[in-house]
Amino acid sequence: MKRTGRHLLKADGLGLRFGGLQVLDELSLTVPEGRIVGLIGPNGAGKTSCFNCLTGIYRPQRGRVSFDGRDVSRLPTHRRARLGMTRTWQNLGVIDSLTVTENVMLAQHQRAGYGALAGILGMAGTWHRERELRRDAAEILDYFGLADVAGERVAELPYGTRKTCDMAMALASDPKLLLLDEPASGLSPEEALGLADTLRELRDRLRLTILMIEHHVPLVAEVCDYVYVLNFGRLLTEGGPEEIQRHPDVIAAYLGDGHATA
Amino acid sequence: MGAFFALGLFQGAVYGLLAVGIVLVYKAKRVFNFAQGEFGGVAAFCAFGLTVALGLPYWVGVVGGLAAAVAMGLVVERVVVRPLESSSRTIMLVALVGVALFAVAVTVLAAEPVPRVMPPIVEGGTVDILGAGILPQQLILLAVLAVLAAAMAWFFKTDLGLAVLASSQDLRAAQVVGISPTAVSRLVWGLAALLGGIAGLLYAPVGIFTPGFMTFTMLVPAFAAAVLGGMTSLPGAFIGGLAIGVVQNLGIYLLGQQLAVPGAAELGVFALLMLVLLIRPQGLFGKAV
Amino acid sequence: MTTATLVLTRVRIRGRLGLVLRVVLVLAALALVAYPLFYGGDVWAQRISRAAIYAVIGLSINTLTGHAGQISLGHQAFVGIGAFSAAFMASQLAAPLGFGLAAAALAGTVTALLVGMVALRVTGLYLTLVTLAFGLTAETTIFNWREFTGGGAGAFAPRPALVETDFAYAVLCLGVLALVLYVDWRLVSTKTGRALAAVRNNEDIAATLGVNVTGYKLGAFCFSGLVAGLAGGLFAYWNQVVQALDFEFQVALVWVLMTVVGGLRSRLGVIIASSFFALLPLTLPNFLSGLPWQPPFLNEAVYHVLPPFIVVVMLLLVLRFFPGGIGQLLAPVTRRGGPKGAKR
Repeated sequence: MKRTGRHLLKADGLGLRFGGLQVLDELSLTVPEGRIVGLIGPNGAGKTSCFNCLTGIYRPQRGRVSFDGRDVSRLPTHRRARLGMTRTWQNLGVIDSLTVTENVMLAQHQRAGYGALAGILGMAGTWHRERELRRDAAEILDYFGLADVAGERVAELPYGTRKTCDMAMALASDPKLLLLDEPASGLSPEEALGLADTLRELRDRLRLTILMIEHHVPLVAEVCDYVYVLNFGRLLTEGGPEEIQRHPDVIAAYLGDGHATA
Repeated sequence: MGAFFALGLFQGAVYGLLAVGIVLVYKAKRVFNFAQGEFGGVAAFCAFGLTVALGLPYWVGVVGGLAAAVAMGLVVERVVVRPLESSSRTIMLVALVGVALFAVAVTVLAAEPVPRVMPPIVEGGTVDILGAGILPQQLILLAVLAVLAAAMAWFFKTDLGLAVLASSQDLRAAQVVGISPTAVSRLVWGLAALLGGIAGLLYAPVGIFTPGFMTFTMLVPAFAAAVLGGMTSLPGAFIGGLAIGVVQNLGIYLLGQQLAVPGAAELGVFALLMLVLLIRPQGLFGKAV
Repeated sequence: MTTATLVLTRVRIRGRLGLVLRVVLVLAALALVAYPLFYGGDVWAQRISRAAIYAVIGLSINTLTGHAGQISLGHQAFVGIGAFSAAFMASQLAAPLGFGLAAAALAGTVTALLVGMVALRVTGLYLTLVTLAFGLTAETTIFNWREFTGGGAGAFAPRPALVETDFAYAVLCLGVLALVLYVDWRLVSTKTGRALAAVRNNEDIAATLGVNVTGYKLGAFCFSGLVAGLAGGLFAYWNQVVQALDFEFQVALVWVLMTVVGGLRSRLGVIIASSFFALLPLTLPNFLSGLPWQPPFLNEAVYHVLPPFIVVVMLLLVLRFFPGGIGQLLAPVTRRGGPKGAKR
């Protein structure tokens, strides 16, 4: 059943420019189905901008993006999301004024199964669907160990819990592809290793495909099947995780030329 | 028609002057400053009180009016803007609308809501430009607008100006330059109030003025001018102001006089604002994202 | 003061006591309306109608500003267009009241759709500027269009026999208010409410969750326009004559501020604040002339400015000390407590 080798996401020659600043230049990458792919590079290399182009928040001047076998370059963000493209955010994508349960139900927005108008008018089916969504959300919260704080407002929770809630939301949206923006930031080394287990489980049991931006090198080495390295908006190199760690350009880009000679 | 064009150009100067202040606040704070017009209103009323009611020399009125405007700007910054720094922009905007309404209400309570006439800086008859009678006061207004727009454009090239810009993006960046965010905030609001005060003092003598005249009739065209210029561009605000003035007066000529549509001036401004947002939402001089 | 506020927002009265308190609160509110309605005669029936109409307007603004995070400074135009449409239906076409109100709601919706389609495509609060400009245009152009508005004399909207008495009309207004309240409640507790919460917090996050940001903002604005138009229709039959003078643009500013004072997203808070500002211009002159000492500066013009002045002072106090408005003060009672209660 697992079709390996098929590309779920493909970016081709992305070029993004803000005024005089070339943010992305001829960037191409592919994410095969069922794999975890890493996107690394120094600060300001254009990693998050790349995510913004893939999800449609930025419109790159050049290049195209295809997802699940169709060209999505001209689709707005919410239409791409409905095709199964989900992302997390560096500063968390939780909505502070909602409770944990409501956040997860928000992530289920696209499969609520009733129209906005029907819900507002209180049509018969919507009450039932709301109860189902709430039950589904409760299951997901159980899985992530968030059941105790289900009714709490997200704003009042500690960072780690908010981060878990963010992850629960990403899964609740029923994605084909997860774009994770620094999932290990703010986590302790032990928690980061726990995250590695979670990510592998998502890939192996739920058949999820993951593209992640990450600074935490041990985590990248641990879980990624393939790694792209970005510097100054260009692709510096790509390859398997071991290969990348030994690559002299990567070492130079991360430490800076000054350090390399010192 | 030429006369309407000339009238519009000079009418547009006061919109441009207000728009420059609006753009200054927007560049630094990313918020539409609805109190910008009332800075001018308060300045005009103070100047009127000092010169006409108390009979003091004209320059005392000018200095007093500008001082009142700046004081109001600083008070607004301290009492309204800074405590709401962490609130949403929606709330900040509502609060600034509140400030404008408050200033109007106070002017009405303090002074009778009757039309007043402010003596101009330079007496004298009108000058004929394209068949329109233009007051010397209006010539001064246009010149002051040009000078101030240029001065503000230059200001944003200086280190201090860059610090103001940086503060809109990142608080730390301003601290690196060595200026506290509080000082930047005070500077922005003081400066914006000064610009608003100048606009009010220069415009009040052009016609008769009533409480709230700057907010109720000047502010909307000024915002349209800022949007037309791209919201962040000072030359844009300058040109946008003149353009709005011209469009408004051509609207009066074409719609009002030829077709007898009521409210042609307001309709012209509204139509232009819609057109800009429809065709070129980043404005004439704004950067597309 | 901040700490006091903090304590207040954290207090939750849980379990049975909370339920009892909420029931008592609702009953008290109903009694507060019912007593003057039944025993206050026509004067109070009229006042209650006016308060209910204002509450509908407040809830209309609450949909836009509270739920979608956008601001309209030209709402008096939507209410006015609704009022004139209803009056036009009633006096020119002799249509029944239901058609008049439907026309008012439709006119409000269509106007909001046209304005919003342009202004809401752009990220940011541009709707504020566009509605402000639109409000001025409506005041000077549409409301001066003689065939539609009847010029200076105004347009007439006679009440049909069924709701001719002030008492019957007050019941009608309260019924519409109840309907709007129901819709607001459904809105908050379904996917629409969650989507709008995401939109007003962060449009990018909302979009990546599959929420059509522009669509929801436009939908919220259209619904707000619909409710505003409906309120205008109610106003037309309440006053039985509609004049352009009733919809000066300053009114819209007061309404927005009044809604924030009541507390965005707090239904009860919005109703309380709206009712207060609906009755203020009616009761203020009586109240002031009843004072033992008459301040010398009081005159007609001052009565005109006092409500805006009062709303602004209240707004500044509210934003400084309890940003959730009156709704925040009521929160310990109205909020559903307990760890299982997944509502806010």
